[in-house]
Amino acid sequence: MNINRLIALSKSVQFGKILTSNARHATKEVTLPNRTIRTHARNLAYAKDLFLGKVNKAECFPYPEIGNEELEEINSFVAPVEKFFTEEVDSKRIDHEAKIPPETLNGLKELGLFGIQVPEEYGGLGLSNTMYARLGEIISLDGSIAVTLAAHQAIGLKGILIAGSEEQKAKYLPKLASGEHVAAFCLTEPGSGSDAASIQTKATLSEDRKTYLLNGSKIWISNGGFADLMTVFARTEVVGEDGVKKDKITAFIVERAFGGITSGKPEDKLGIRGSNTCEVSFDNCPVPVENVIGEVGGGFKVAMNILNSGRFSMGSAGSGMIKKLIEMTAEYAGSRKQFGKNLSEFGMIQEKFAVMAQNAFVMESMAYLTAGMMDRPGVPDCSLEAAMVKVFSSEGGWICVSEALQVLGGLGYTKNYPYERYLRDCRILLIFEGTNEILRMYIALTGMQYAGKILTGKIKEMKKGNVGVALEMLGRKLGDALGRKVDLGLTGMDGVVHPGLADSAKKLEQNVAHFGSTVENLLYRYGKTIVEEQLILKRVADVLINLYAMTAVLSRSSRSISIGLRNHDHEVLLANTFCTDAFFKNNYWLTQLQRNSPENQDENIKKIAREVLEKRTYVCSHPLDRTF
Amino acid sequence: MNCARCLLRLQSVGFLAPSVRAAVQHAALLQPATALSQITVHNTRGQALRRFHGSPGCYKSQPVPTDPGEEHEDIIKKDKSLITHDDLFERVAREAKTKATFNRVVDVFSKRDIRRRGHVEFIYAALKKMPEFGVERDLTVYNKLLDVFPKEVFVPRNFIQRMFNHYPRQQECGVQLLEQMENYGIMPNVESKVLIVQIFGNKSHPMRKYQRIMYWFPKFKHANPFPVPLQLPEDPVDLARLSLNRIANDLDAKVTVYQMPCTDISESGEEITFPHVVGIQSPDQMELLAKHNPNRPVFVEGPFPLWLRKICVYYYILRADPLPPEEKVEESYDPERCFDYPLQLDLDLDRDMGDDDSFDVEDVDEGPVFAMCMTSQGDQATLNQWISGLQETNPTLGRVPTLFRLEAGPRELQGVADPGPGYREEGEEEAETDIVVEEEHQRSQGVKQ
Repeated sequence: MNINRLIALSKSVQFGKILTSNARHATKEVTLPNRTIRTHARNLAYAKDLFLGKVNKAECFPYPEIGNEELEEINSFVAPVEKFFTEEVDSKRIDHEAKIPPETLNGLKELGLFGIQVPEEYGGLGLSNTMYARLGEIISLDGSIAVTLAAHQAIGLKGILIAGSEEQKAKYLPKLASGEHVAAFCLTEPGSGSDAASIQTKATLSEDRKTYLLNGSKIWISNGGFADLMTVFARTEVVGEDGVKKDKITAFIVERAFGGITSGKPEDKLGIRGSNTCEVSFDNCPVPVENVIGEVGGGFKVAMNILNSGRFSMGSAGSGMIKKLIEMTAEYAGSRKQFGKNLSEFGMIQEKFAVMAQNAFVMESMAYLTAGMMDRPGVPDCSLEAAMVKVFSSEGGWICVSEALQVLGGLGYTKNYPYERYLRDCRILLIFEGTNEILRMYIALTGMQYAGKILTGKIKEMKKGNVGVALEMLGRKLGDALGRKVDLGLTGMDGVVHPGLADSAKKLEQNVAHFGSTVENLLYRYGKTIVEEQLILKRVADVLINLYAMTAVLSRSSRSISIGLRNHDHEVLLANTFCTDAFFKNNYWLTQLQRNSPENQDENIKKIAREVLEKRTYVCSHPLDRTF
Repeated sequence: MNCARCLLRLQSVGFLAPSVRAAVQHAALLQPATALSQITVHNTRGQALRRFHGSPGCYKSQPVPTDPGEEHEDIIKKDKSLITHDDLFERVAREAKTKATFNRVVDVFSKRDIRRRGHVEFIYAALKKMPEFGVERDLTVYNKLLDVFPKEVFVPRNFIQRMFNHYPRQQECGVQLLEQMENYGIMPNVESKVLIVQIFGNKSHPMRKYQRIMYWFPKFKHANPFPVPLQLPEDPVDLARLSLNRIANDLDAKVTVYQMPCTDISESGEEITFPHVVGIQSPDQMELLAKHNPNRPVFVEGPFPLWLRKICVYYYILRADPLPPEEKVEESYDPERCFDYPLQLDLDLDRDMGDDDSFDVEDVDEGPVFAMCMTSQGDQATLNQWISGLQETNPTLGRVPTLFRLEAGPRELQGVADPGPGYREEGEEEAETDIVVEEEHQRSQGVKQ
């Protein structure tokens, strides 16, 4: 049986190679050869199926790979970039002067880093998502540069790339790819970030119907001070299907040369100080109608797509940063002596390195799994996965940087070492590209909507008192209680996980089954009003993130064992440790989710917050106060 | 019976010694000043006992040490102890009813007779007179009254005394004193406790009363989540500010003074007083008013009373009728509202009954209140000033018809003599006139400035 499994595994690995190498070509070529294999599976998504208690193993197993040629290609890109970042980039100076020096920017342009994902026909590097993630690992070594580049290509020019017309692409992409023009993304307005209703910038069509006049101002625009090209979202009047005039959001490509654009003073920020963030105002800025991205009134979808696609690379960026930090702190811990012992011999220091290694490993696994899924042919919707990668890696990154600083103690707190800069820089990860709170809502609600659509019928039957459905449910619950083994097919005959990881795979299966029944229970209990239950949604999102992370590490280490990668036993160790840890956390959260609000502390939490917020101050009297 | 008590007393002298010392030490710890004088008394223990229980005749003949300048002393000395002590206070009160005179009466009584004969009656009388002298909320005065009780005498010395009500009249008087403190909300302090222990002993009724007060008072001290300050501001504008903030209970609400109180002399030489106009409005109310349909009128209503301790103030509101059901616009869900996550789920499932924690509350539709104001003169002209002031920040108000629905409420309450400030004190006429005079004073000062 074992042999069978191995054969199955090697087969699937083989298959994965074919699939991903096809994907690589698919992104390059307009015609897609060999697309006949499994393209029908495209509408399936891994994370959404977890809400139904299913593991869609075809999506995540085997771990996506790139072909040898691509590997060589990417390595040839990586080497000079790495050299540039270690030798030419002076991060301390960038942070101190709050400006990236022009020679550094020119170096980045020469390396082609301004057009990583722009197709080769428009002068870019035309790299896939996987390769973009790989470069992100190195670029992230300097937060300011990473944010400048991300604002330029992950969101700034993404609109043209995914929704622009051929003419727009031909006109703008070459200059953007070479770095001659820098792009910016102008969405946020003083009202708030995620609320489309707060967008007040107006675009009014001129009488000759050839230009729009833009009026309004945008805040917190990365690259806003020097960007030559901006993707701007503004309200336009659109006549709806029912003949009623409505204000809808439209995306525009705006050149600074159009005139009427002023940039404010750069914001003085905590971290990523070298990146330029400022207010941009438009005063009767004329934009020709052909510069509308997509269709008039379709800006909302454009904005959503840009935002959703920009997030996945944060995982690899975070892991790149942590890997660097591990190297730096390990050297210190190995040489610094206390009480005649090296720091590395103390348990509490060792734990910090274990945490860092584990986090880097999980982030990396998630990031490349997601990038690989996005690179597959078809138009995969991986926004849920990308959001999970962003949340996990931003929070993991913050913890790891803090632990790394702690290893050095007081030294880490000084400006003589780069740790404080990393700490400041990586704090932004929890905030931008959608705050983690908002992304958790997105993760949980998207899944709930998906599961709800499918389960509504069943739940209604149950509420009506259909005996059959209720009995089935009861039977299942009884089975769970009696300790029936959950088998979702990750191990065993058609298993995709290596036997060395069978225990962890079983834990994942158990969690997934439990999660599925919990989601059903939540839908039964709250229905559509679950939107209001943010504390519940937060736990749902956290469990899902852990489930996806477990899948990623299992998939990655299974592949590593199977093809005999160097140090794969270390990967197995990390994967098993992480899965056990996550298993317990998930069980805790899932148990809380099954309880009512007084039992899982939600009620108390809300009450505390309410009382504090009512008074807008800390409520307790001082411990030294007295009444007589 | 007297014999028996004497015997008992003699026996207990031996027992008393340690307890006296303990009490003295206790007192010395807490109040070094008073303790010193007491030690001198207690050192001659036998004498002290004899003094309390010896023949009254022999002491009466002794001259009581008094200040030569005390003329009241003579008045009091002539009195027989049986006459009511009200007279004592009455006689003193002829010049002025203050804390000082009250204290003097108490001092006089304490010094007159070392045995403090008639102290129970005196204390009852004093308690009754306290509000008159304005010292009913003064803890030191209560302690001084407690100090009138002779010390050590009423402390039970054996289990039988402890079991039965020892010196019931005195104990009851002590309880009554504490009761009055309780009624005025005065919390005893450590000094009171020491006095009670010295007078009645550790497990007496007054001590129990003290303990009960000390148990409940601190618990109730902060029971009111909206405490009214003990000293209300005297300035009508400040008072209006305080009251408006209190009614609005919204931390965002902003108080605007539309007109400061002042007097002016017109060309014809007449004195015109301008009343104060103070209003409050929160951003939420401004938003509501901005959304108000200009075809529907808004109403200025009032005056409504608000009591702050003993002061009653009146306020006016700007409100509208509740929206008729046909004009209500349900805010429709816009799926393109949030860039990041769906604000509503497209599901045909509602909350299960088991998780529906909401109460079944019948909502009574009330009209929105847009703003509130306080003024000392509730006529339409003054209130118009408020409305025109509001218009500066709420431009819609200029297009909305404003109706004044004022009642003559406060005018009747204010009475004839009252020149018409926006508030008045009930009960204490003197205090009221004081404030009116003060207000006039302030106004004239305002003119001078």
